[in-house]
Amino acid sequence: MISSRWTPFLFLAPALAALLIFRLAPIAVAVGGSLTGVSLMGDLNFVGGENFHYLLTDPQFWSSLKITLWFNLIINPLQLAIAFGLAMLVFRPLPGLWIYRTLLVLPMAVSTGISAVLFGLFLDGNLGPLNGFLEWVGIGAQPFHRSQDQALYTLIGIATWKGAGYWMLFLLAGLYSIPTTVYEAATIDGASAWQRFRHVTLPLMRKPMAFVLVADTAINFLFFAPVYILTSGGPGGATSLLMFEAYRSAFTFSDIGRSLAISTILLGIILVIVVVEFRLLRSPEEKHV
Amino acid sequence: MRIGRRQFMAGAASVAVAGSIGRAAAQEVTLSAPWMGWPEEQVAPLMAAFHDATGIRVSAERLPITELFRTLEVRLQARNELPDVYLVDGPLTASYAARGHLLALDEMLAGDKDRFLPTTIEQGTYDGQLFAMPLGTSSQLLFYNKKLFAEAGIELPSSDPEARMTWEELLPIAQKLTKPEMSQFGFAFENTNPYQLLPVPLSKEAEVIGPDGLTATGYVDGERMVEAMTWYQELYQVHKVAPVGTFQTGVTQEMFGSGKLAMIIGGTWNLVGFEKFEDLDYGVAPHPYFQGGKAVTPTGSWHVGINPRTAHMKESQEFVRWLSTRDAMNLWFDLRQYPPSLEEIWDERAGTTFVDPAWEIVRYELANTATPRPPTPGYREYEDFLRTAMQDIQTGANVQDSLTRAAQNIDREMRKYR
Repeated sequence: MISSRWTPFLFLAPALAALLIFRLAPIAVAVGGSLTGVSLMGDLNFVGGENFHYLLTDPQFWSSLKITLWFNLIINPLQLAIAFGLAMLVFRPLPGLWIYRTLLVLPMAVSTGISAVLFGLFLDGNLGPLNGFLEWVGIGAQPFHRSQDQALYTLIGIATWKGAGYWMLFLLAGLYSIPTTVYEAATIDGASAWQRFRHVTLPLMRKPMAFVLVADTAINFLFFAPVYILTSGGPGGATSLLMFEAYRSAFTFSDIGRSLAISTILLGIILVIVVVEFRLLRSPEEKHV
Repeated sequence: MRIGRRQFMAGAASVAVAGSIGRAAAQEVTLSAPWMGWPEEQVAPLMAAFHDATGIRVSAERLPITELFRTLEVRLQARNELPDVYLVDGPLTASYAARGHLLALDEMLAGDKDRFLPTTIEQGTYDGQLFAMPLGTSSQLLFYNKKLFAEAGIELPSSDPEARMTWEELLPIAQKLTKPEMSQFGFAFENTNPYQLLPVPLSKEAEVIGPDGLTATGYVDGERMVEAMTWYQELYQVHKVAPVGTFQTGVTQEMFGSGKLAMIIGGTWNLVGFEKFEDLDYGVAPHPYFQGGKAVTPTGSWHVGINPRTAHMKESQEFVRWLSTRDAMNLWFDLRQYPPSLEEIWDERAGTTFVDPAWEIVRYELANTATPRPPTPGYREYEDFLRTAMQDIQTGANVQDSLTRAAQNIDREMRKYR
């Protein structure tokens, strides 16, 4: 006979086991691995903080860290703003609305790798259709991911094309969960459309927005495939995001320990930023608690 | 019909049983072999011939060159039984062997070593032991489109290696053959690999790596290297005679084949590869050099190695041994035309294939101007950073900065080999 004290834990056990096996254990392995080094012949040694010390004195690491932070400083607010804008656009009933919604969500169904390859062709300097169009309208061909100045922003564009529709879905659900009675009350009180948006919609959207921002941040700090496929960290190191450096350390330079140290640092950064984001988007009532 | 739980379980069980019977019946061994992304018709016949001879299948996974190197790193570092055999780029032999990723082949090919050109055996050797069996060697030629030359009224380049063009002479010709309104370019290198581009600084007698094989600063970003790569950049960015962003072989080959590119420096594999372009009428000339410098051509090629951890050791050895036979090498030559590594194929074809002017040039280059890539266990890191720098330079990055960054990065990664 199982005591009722253990019943909740039994029900939770499968989920907890999965969490342990698929999330916490790999993190533990990564953090542990960051304290090791592998010899040329594959022997594992404990090296303590050597990998971290190496990174902190490595200009390449600092440059990647800066690029990663800058990338996230732009892409996360940008994706949130665009996703919110799109959600507002397709929120009100319109004829043929489902077509627009489907179109906006469609990029989600294209895998990241495939979308990077497609954009590579689309933006190509010699054969790409977009440059043909830009020349035709008189703007002139752009180098996009082949230019040190434009590469990072090209990647931000590609990621936003793919991500905005996805995050829109969560915000759309949030918009639907705001009771219409609140808006009616505001209208009766004489609130203008802007005032309703500013004082009703925005405060009530804090929670879904916090979720989107946090989840998006976690994903964008781990941004990898388009860098690997389109730019390999170039030109001139302009897109060497930390995740790509972690990959290169492990699989081009056979330094698994350094790679895991980069991953561990990334994990730490994500944790800190996510905590800050949660605090910023806390509703006023929660702040008093 | 509604499928109940019992029926579902019975169905699942029978599928599982059928599956395992199928597996038991398939006794045939299939070797896993990461291979270069050459056209299928240049790979499949070789594997099919091996299967006909031995009953062993080879699953050749064709990957573009940079993907091949990355894939091999990922798989080899797992240090398990896969892959069974793999293509080894000659200068990477040391890198793989030093890390225990290659089986020594001395015993297996003991009586065969003197059948090969000595330089090819040298490329596959590390620390006095043969680790990778040479599939061939390589050389590069200047291919030109006869029709575009005739249209522009330009005299065809000489095919005599003693009277080869200088880079200084090539530029005005390339300018005449560049027609932006028709997206036609005068000249391009086949790709941005150091293999392809190192002869440019080497022609200016630049030293491209330190004498210890582990130092890049002062060499990769040395004065002559910067001078040579500035010339390279100007072709793309100032004179605009070459198409920017052409990093991969396939793109430049298509452009040359379809008449969008008048001249290309490319490998002998194009002698077969260009056959698919029916309207293309091309000629070949020797690799140009800098006036006052020396003539230098790339060389070295693909080898085949065995993963020492393979679960199919006998079959893997059989594959490499079979590839080293005259018949297999002859077939391989017909498929892709790398200059052969076996002396006997040069002799057998001396009066047939090799009377072609292209092959006369190649024989001359192999004997006189061929310069292998720098011997270093860190060639992988060296090549990776240098390739990125060369791509950046092509697309307009500051030459000195790009090379200095590459040199610093290479030195940083070379430390582990010291």
